[in-house]
Amino acid sequence: MDLLVQGIVTGVLIGGLYALMSIGLSLSWGALKIINLAHFSFILLSAYLVYQLAISFSVNPLLLTLVVVPLFFVIGALMQVLIHRAKLDEFKSLIVTFGLFIILQSMIQTIWSADFRRIGSEVNVFEGGSIRLGDITLPYPVLLAFIASVAIAVAMSLVLSRTYFGKAVRAVAQDAEMARAFGIDPNRVAVLLSGVATAISALAGVFIAIGQALWPGLAVSWFGIVFPVVILGGLGNTMGALTAGVMVGVAAGVASVVWGPISAPLVTFVILIAALLFRPHGLITARSVA
Amino acid sequence: MTSRARVLSGFAVFGLALFFFPAFQEAMELPRFYVIFLLSIFFWIAQASSWNILTGFSGYFSFGQGAWFGIGVYSVAVLAGKHGWPFIAAVPVGGLLALVGGLALGLVVFRLRMLGGEIFALTTLAIAFVLAALARLTSAIDGGTGTFMTGTPIPEFLGEFNTAMYRMTLVVMLLTVLAAYLIYDSRLGWGLFAIRDDEAVAGGLGIPAFRYKMVALGVNAFFAGLMGGVWALQIGFVTVEEVFNIRVPLFVILMSILGGMRHWMGPVVGAIIIFTLSDRLNSAGLTDVNQIIIGSLLVILTLAVKEGIYMRMRDRWLTTLISMVGVMTIMAVFGLTTSLITGFAVAMVVTVTILLVPDRLWDRVRRGSDGGGGPPVEDGAMAEAGR
Repeated sequence: MDLLVQGIVTGVLIGGLYALMSIGLSLSWGALKIINLAHFSFILLSAYLVYQLAISFSVNPLLLTLVVVPLFFVIGALMQVLIHRAKLDEFKSLIVTFGLFIILQSMIQTIWSADFRRIGSEVNVFEGGSIRLGDITLPYPVLLAFIASVAIAVAMSLVLSRTYFGKAVRAVAQDAEMARAFGIDPNRVAVLLSGVATAISALAGVFIAIGQALWPGLAVSWFGIVFPVVILGGLGNTMGALTAGVMVGVAAGVASVVWGPISAPLVTFVILIAALLFRPHGLITARSVA
Repeated sequence: MTSRARVLSGFAVFGLALFFFPAFQEAMELPRFYVIFLLSIFFWIAQASSWNILTGFSGYFSFGQGAWFGIGVYSVAVLAGKHGWPFIAAVPVGGLLALVGGLALGLVVFRLRMLGGEIFALTTLAIAFVLAALARLTSAIDGGTGTFMTGTPIPEFLGEFNTAMYRMTLVVMLLTVLAAYLIYDSRLGWGLFAIRDDEAVAGGLGIPAFRYKMVALGVNAFFAGLMGGVWALQIGFVTVEEVFNIRVPLFVILMSILGGMRHWMGPVVGAIIIFTLSDRLNSAGLTDVNQIIIGSLLVILTLAVKEGIYMRMRDRWLTTLISMVGVMTIMAVFGLTTSLITGFAVAMVVTVTILLVPDRLWDRVRRGSDGGGGPPVEDGAMAEAGR
């Protein structure tokens, strides 16, 4: 029983990380109509950069957020500039970003090899640390990720609903030409949003580098986590992504306890297929973007 | 001779010539490697052609090739590898199980509602992962241990291992390409093309879209599974990582996009080019670079190539011929390479690059060499007549 409760609690916390990994994709798909498969490599690349910088300079990995987040903002913005130049539709974006994904994956494999890489505990102050509540342990890495995820989801949701930029994003998502007629430059909005989305992915990479060992195959395994979260949460809906992330996290956590950790991917992929087929517009019908 | 008779006799001539190649190779004492190289090309031609029947013809983008391929491989690995079925009996079962899988997916996806193409694409992406997880979990299929296929005997009338593999891949490849051609040149093919252009209009014109899409998906899955079944022996040691990876979907997409998805010959040409290139890079020890080049090609070709290299070859067949023969002759004369395949690879890269020159620039170059050429109106009329 305790094991099950622990599984659920860990699931909720990891669900926060899942949401953080998904928000960027959800935003770019919902608002920009780009299914960015390279998103997964961006998260992994950010995690590897954090790993490399942390062990090379012996810095607290959490501090490296200040490096990777701006860096990936620029990368995301640049990518959008190129995508706009090439005039990609939703469909071609899938193929082109698939190519990008392959390129980034083999670059990662060439640079860091296929071996497991982990920030050593002498640098990683969060390694092994946890808060205990009775019989329940809350490991620092996932706890931090959960807090960050809630903060980002709430902040992005407020930005999208309350600010001028958010209004512009929603307008562009609905009808880019009409938005242009009202004095909004859709390209600038898209570049900015793509930068923000990629920066959030980079943040997810930081927590992954802190919390677990890295290897190139991780990016592919995230397909089964991020896509269900994005689809169940509703495209462009950051709070929805948080809810869906927690749901997927709990489902995977309970499955790991009941059938062993190897069954978790099967459960999340079955959720993905069910979500794609039965709820392609999300569990929650109200959507903040698109 | 009608166009169909011409194509079919072409099939017969090519098929027969290729069938006797192993004997020719032995008689001429050519390197054994040629046979293995060719059978690998057959494998990719069959995979790319079967994928193109669904995606190229109907426009429904599928990442699911790995799933159908994997069903075929694992059917044979389980039936022949674990339970001692005769190999020849297990292979068709692989194709049929893949067919059942494809139809089951189609029943759900195509029936449910008008799902967008991107939802279909992501569903097919997920299917392969579900199957991989299932295989890893179920000890009756794999259980994470892998299956050795080395103990599985091949029928003696097929010859020794490489020759037998060669003949089987050749037959499956010919059947697949033949199916692609027959569908392309039929009512079904026209219906699929109409669905690709506008499904709502196609439905309005009385095309049974659901049934046609099911047939396309079923044929795709069947041939992918059939070739997967044959390939189980070539893999030798069947593991989840070896079978359900991103390589098969990636390569068939790239091959079809390069060759052209609107013609049945497109994936054939694309498969020959991409496999040769990738094989040469691998044998030069550039495996990691190879992946980067493959990814870059996918990006560039998606952006740059509209109708595929095969259509360009047909339009500029003389250029293609001169370039291929020319480059290979130059390389042979100056002794730049001792390997026929390397020469072929280089010639193809040069030719493809020449063929990728955009039409407008191409016309200008040609008109320049003609000393002015005709007025633009005439060009347009000639292009029209050429179609």
